[in-house]
Amino acid sequence: MLALMRKEATVLFASPVAYFVLTMVALITSISFFEHLRLYNHQLFLFASSSMGGFETDTIPDYINLRDTVFLPVMEQLGLLILLPIPLVTMRVFAEERSLGTDELLLTSRLSAGQIVVAKFAVTFAFIALMMTVSFVYPATAVISGGLGLQHLLAVYLGLVMLGIGIASIGLVCSAFTGSQIIAAVSTVGITFLLYDFSWTFEFIGEETAGVLDALSLHPHFGRFSEGLVGAANVTYFLCLAVISGAVVRFSLDLRRVGG
Amino acid sequence: MCRAFGDHLVLDSLDLAIERGETFGLLGANGAGKTTFIRLVTGYLLPTAGSVLVDGISPGVNPRAVHERIGFSAERPQLYPDLRVRQGLRFAGGLRGLSGAALEAAIDSALRRFDIGDHADRLVGNLSKGYQQRVSLAQAFLDEPPLLIVDEPTSGLDPLQRAEVREVIAGLRGQRTVVLCTHDLNEARQLCSRVAVLHEGRLVALGAADEVLGGDDPLALFRGHSP
Repeated sequence: MLALMRKEATVLFASPVAYFVLTMVALITSISFFEHLRLYNHQLFLFASSSMGGFETDTIPDYINLRDTVFLPVMEQLGLLILLPIPLVTMRVFAEERSLGTDELLLTSRLSAGQIVVAKFAVTFAFIALMMTVSFVYPATAVISGGLGLQHLLAVYLGLVMLGIGIASIGLVCSAFTGSQIIAAVSTVGITFLLYDFSWTFEFIGEETAGVLDALSLHPHFGRFSEGLVGAANVTYFLCLAVISGAVVRFSLDLRRVGG
Repeated sequence: MCRAFGDHLVLDSLDLAIERGETFGLLGANGAGKTTFIRLVTGYLLPTAGSVLVDGISPGVNPRAVHERIGFSAERPQLYPDLRVRQGLRFAGGLRGLSGAALEAAIDSALRRFDIGDHADRLVGNLSKGYQQRVSLAQAFLDEPPLLIVDEPTSGLDPLQRAEVREVIAGLRGQRTVVLCTHDLNEARQLCSRVAVLHEGRLVALGAADEVLGGDDPLALFRGHSP
């Protein structure tokens, strides 16, 4: 299984996609972060200018703080932004094997289908964690110095990684059912976008059904992490999504033996 | 055994035994069912009816034990274009349970055997089709499995390379069981002790290579005419 994990990592970093994704995520996060920081400074400046005696901290309303004005909006944006680069990473994982014909090499090796799934999921998830680390450097540095607290920071980071794992799991399922990387990527974006947030359904369908849909969607579970809360239910939700996706991918591999 | 894809019967009541140590040729036109047969033997596909046994073991029941006994080189090389030749062989060796010094020794031996040592550090995707075919064969030979299945091993090779690959396969006669899928009747006569000819999933001829292919019009077998 280690051989397959090593190969996956080598192939991932042999293509420009990995570097492109890492660069884009770091760039977009930085731009979003500095833009919010600029707005925060602007608001501080406005309050400082409006008070007669110049800048006085007691004239600044409570809601203007680094956490609520910069950190949380950036994280909320990042939750949506990672919806685009993750399918670029997951699209090739199984679809490329099928298009190259190398799935036959894997499925006739000494690895079981389960081991193949575990190895590919593990490398993809590790890349997601790396991607989040890269995106997290600027906000983390600034927010620690702004006094948000390390625990809150870790909770948000864990939330982003969990959300990334959730989206990647959907992406890996899409990749397993097609030989076309384009179809895999587009269907991942579509399905994730659909599953991201069902809160709007409360206005259109019964509260009970909408409540169930909302509980199944990604955003509410990620949202708790943004608030600094690491709930077992939310972690379990994302881990269940990964496990169920793994089982579906494994089923798709078995299906090829029967259906061809 | 039978194998169908939907309503289309690709292999129809095929009953075939390949003896240990023989070089067995599987012939037929495109679409005759040769690749499906190979995929059933490797366990990549499961039969719709009947069974396949490799060394007494069913690939459907114990795929790992079967995969330990088989080396397989497909007509379309199963290679990763983004890996270098040595990296690809290292990966293939890892999949076959080789590691450490034994893996490196097996890679060096395969590079020498297929004369691809000079290309060991090149990307597989940048190699010519002939060299990719050699890498594919090297991959299949890596741990010297007792059963070797080669699908069109000389397709895309120049005459010199073709002769070299045939020499390698001929050198395995009596040492390994080899199943050779080919369109090339001369190749089959030269290398195989016995051959089977498939037509639209049915077995139309089975016997000693010289006997089956030695008639006036061996190509008639490809059209489904029994000898």
